[in-house]
Amino acid sequence: MTQLFPPVANTLARAALLGAALLLLGGMGLLVTIPFTPHVTRQDVVVEQPVQFSHAHHVGGLGLDCRYCHTGVEQSRFAGLPPTHTCMTCHSQLWTNAAILAPVRESLARDEPLRWVRVHRLPDYVYFDHSIHVAKGVGCSTCHGAVQRMQQVRQVAPLTMGWCLDCHRDPAPNLRPREAIYDMGWTPPADQRARGEALIRAYMIRTEHLTDCSRCHR
Amino acid sequence: MSGSEGLLPPGAGYGTLVGAVADPLLRRRVGRPYWLAFAAGALGTALMLVSMGWLFVEGIGIWGVNTSVVWGFAIANYVWWIGIGNAGTFISAALLLLRQPWRAAINRFAEVMTLFAGAIAGLFPIMHLGRPYRAYWLLPYPNSMELWPQWRSALVWDCAAIATYLLFSLVFWWLGLLPDLATLRDRAPGRAGRLAYGVLALGWRGSARHWHLHDRLYRTLAMLALPLVVSVHSVVGMDFAASLMPGWEESIFPPYFVVGALFSGFGMCVVLAALLRWGLGLQAVITQRHFAVMAKVILAGALVLGLSYLTEWFTAWYSGDADERGHVRFLFGGEYAPLYYVLLACNVLVPQVLWSARARRSIGAVVAVSLLLNLGMWLERVLIIWNVLSHGYLPSMHGVFRPTFWDWALLAGTIGFFLLLFLVFARLLPVIAMHDLGKLLFDRQRAEAHAGEEDEARAGERPGGAGRGARPMGGAPPILAEFRDPLTLIDAAHRAREAGLRGLDAHTPFAVAGLAEALALPTPRVRPAMLAGGLLAAAFVYALCWYSAVLDYPLVLGGRPLHGWQVFLVLTFEAGILGATFTGVAWFLVAAGLPRLNHPVFDARDIGRASQDRFFLAVADPAADEARLAALLDGLGPLSIRRVAP
Repeated sequence: MTQLFPPVANTLARAALLGAALLLLGGMGLLVTIPFTPHVTRQDVVVEQPVQFSHAHHVGGLGLDCRYCHTGVEQSRFAGLPPTHTCMTCHSQLWTNAAILAPVRESLARDEPLRWVRVHRLPDYVYFDHSIHVAKGVGCSTCHGAVQRMQQVRQVAPLTMGWCLDCHRDPAPNLRPREAIYDMGWTPPADQRARGEALIRAYMIRTEHLTDCSRCHR
Repeated sequence: MSGSEGLLPPGAGYGTLVGAVADPLLRRRVGRPYWLAFAAGALGTALMLVSMGWLFVEGIGIWGVNTSVVWGFAIANYVWWIGIGNAGTFISAALLLLRQPWRAAINRFAEVMTLFAGAIAGLFPIMHLGRPYRAYWLLPYPNSMELWPQWRSALVWDCAAIATYLLFSLVFWWLGLLPDLATLRDRAPGRAGRLAYGVLALGWRGSARHWHLHDRLYRTLAMLALPLVVSVHSVVGMDFAASLMPGWEESIFPPYFVVGALFSGFGMCVVLAALLRWGLGLQAVITQRHFAVMAKVILAGALVLGLSYLTEWFTAWYSGDADERGHVRFLFGGEYAPLYYVLLACNVLVPQVLWSARARRSIGAVVAVSLLLNLGMWLERVLIIWNVLSHGYLPSMHGVFRPTFWDWALLAGTIGFFLLLFLVFARLLPVIAMHDLGKLLFDRQRAEAHAGEEDEARAGERPGGAGRGARPMGGAPPILAEFRDPLTLIDAAHRAREAGLRGLDAHTPFAVAGLAEALALPTPRVRPAMLAGGLLAAAFVYALCWYSAVLDYPLVLGGRPLHGWQVFLVLTFEAGILGATFTGVAWFLVAAGLPRLNHPVFDARDIGRASQDRFFLAVADPAADEARLAALLDGLGPLSIRRVAP
């Protein structure tokens, strides 16, 4: 009988076996990793908006308060997007002919709201409420980042369930006094742990229920 | 022991046995019945795919499930299929350890039955999830939700048990198949067949060292298989028993499910054996006696199952619990009572005909009983769900299940899929373990030889000696001495070792008992490695359970302690089995140096028959030459003595 395979077949067969094993392990590793990447979380992805509205200019430069436009943030689940009239409080007087504002003027003329593209998307099986977070000491920049430096708003946090749970399991590092909620430049002081614990008591946050399933999945 | 009586044809030789199994596969063209069955299987598969597709589009609302009978057909079919899948590995492993000679002709296709039925069974819970694309959430892995599976959930145990069982059965089946692939490689008529089987055989050359390792690994895996087989169906039983429903929350469920599974598995095994015997013309190796012994197992199963039913009724009465008693009353007089009587008839009454030896000897009768009991077992799985869920504690929730077209379509479709897979298997791979048949024949031959010259044989067994007799082959091409029969090979091996020859090996079609001792091969240390691998995997999974349930995701359930070690052990056990299995396989491949598709010994003339009916002694000692070896083996009548030349 002659050899059925040339000597190189030995190496090929072993390499194929090892390769298949590595491919399997690598593939599984990849599948585990992908949900953490921006491809899935959309973290730091800039979306194109109908108007190139700059938070850097309006918040960082002019110093507008968040609530000037997002009026619902203290009372409702949804922080709210401003009606075109809010834009026009200034822009009926300023930059009235600027090309960049054409869609805004058109919206007013046609009485049709601007169609902003949602940046922070949560799945529909998640119940999220802005008002309770604001009321219990979670500041805007904790989740939305340094909006005052963004030309185009992007999602800073991964918004994964694990990211939510990080804070729900241990809120103390992120809690602020009420007067600092809208402070976009707030940084935690050196004794934040102790202050955070005190704030938990002051806000009467019942931490033992913060991770109940029904807290967010209703 | 009655031994191999009635299992092998009287004048069988090693070559004829291999031919009986391999030639229908390699040389015979399949006829019209095969293609008709194939078409039926393909049609069923298409039906299954369409049903699954429609299910994914529409959701489980297309089934007859409702808020009372939430499990309906899907879980019943799952239990039925996994029950069928239970017997294969049991037959293969338990009968091996119990040294039952009738195992040899049926273990291979029974293992395949296990693989296919188990894989189909695993589909049902996934389809039943409602969001099947999230099935992987049952696995513990670091995820962006920072959640872990709930280790107290029977669904998680189920997932682990079935996955372990499938992976294990795949490995066990593959290990048994590997030498047979080499046989097909050496026997295939065309070059394409030789290459295809050659790659799959990984260069198996029947070396005595490899057989020694193979045999030990295979037996060790068989020992792991037994607790695994029992655990799988116990866990399935616990899916029910761990709930709070009258008729389910009974401690008898795990053993009762194990017996039921073996019962239905043997039933299916009988049906497949009859089909293969007829379809591939295997009357010589699958004999009447196989059916007779399987009939006895079925009879025993029917008795235990009958006892289980009696226990169920008795406990309901003896407990005095109104709901338990109501459940039994519902069994006999409720919505599904007629089906329940059919079940009792199929599972307990009909198998009683097997008390008669005449019935056991009639293949038709055994097959008929088997078909009926598979119907009965399916009814049992269906009724165990319908009867309990439609008649629970809350009268306001009482309601019945009526299967829809898609329920039936999926059941029929999976049966068709099973048929298709099995037909493909029967066309591509040997349905019977040829090397196990060889071993069986060798046992008979040795018993005959021993009957005459027992004392002489004992004198021939020399002590291990220096233990250095056989060392791996060096650089020199070996000299091969070819023998017609394994007993002579053992004698030759003894002589070669006595003469102080080095680099001894042998090439044989099966693991020749006594050859490793004759060559003084060292005991492979695969067992300590497997133990270490298994313990390591088990410790890892226990640590994972502990970390996730106590540290990372503490969730108090009904006031139970976070560190619930009892439930952690379920997963720990499965991980231990898997860890040991994969360590064993890796050890086997590395220690045997496989794959080795190109090896000097393949240059030898007729070495292809070492996987079929010839037995070669290999001497790779620079000090040896053909003449010296011929002188040494004088009187043993070697067919040839040649140095391997490329």
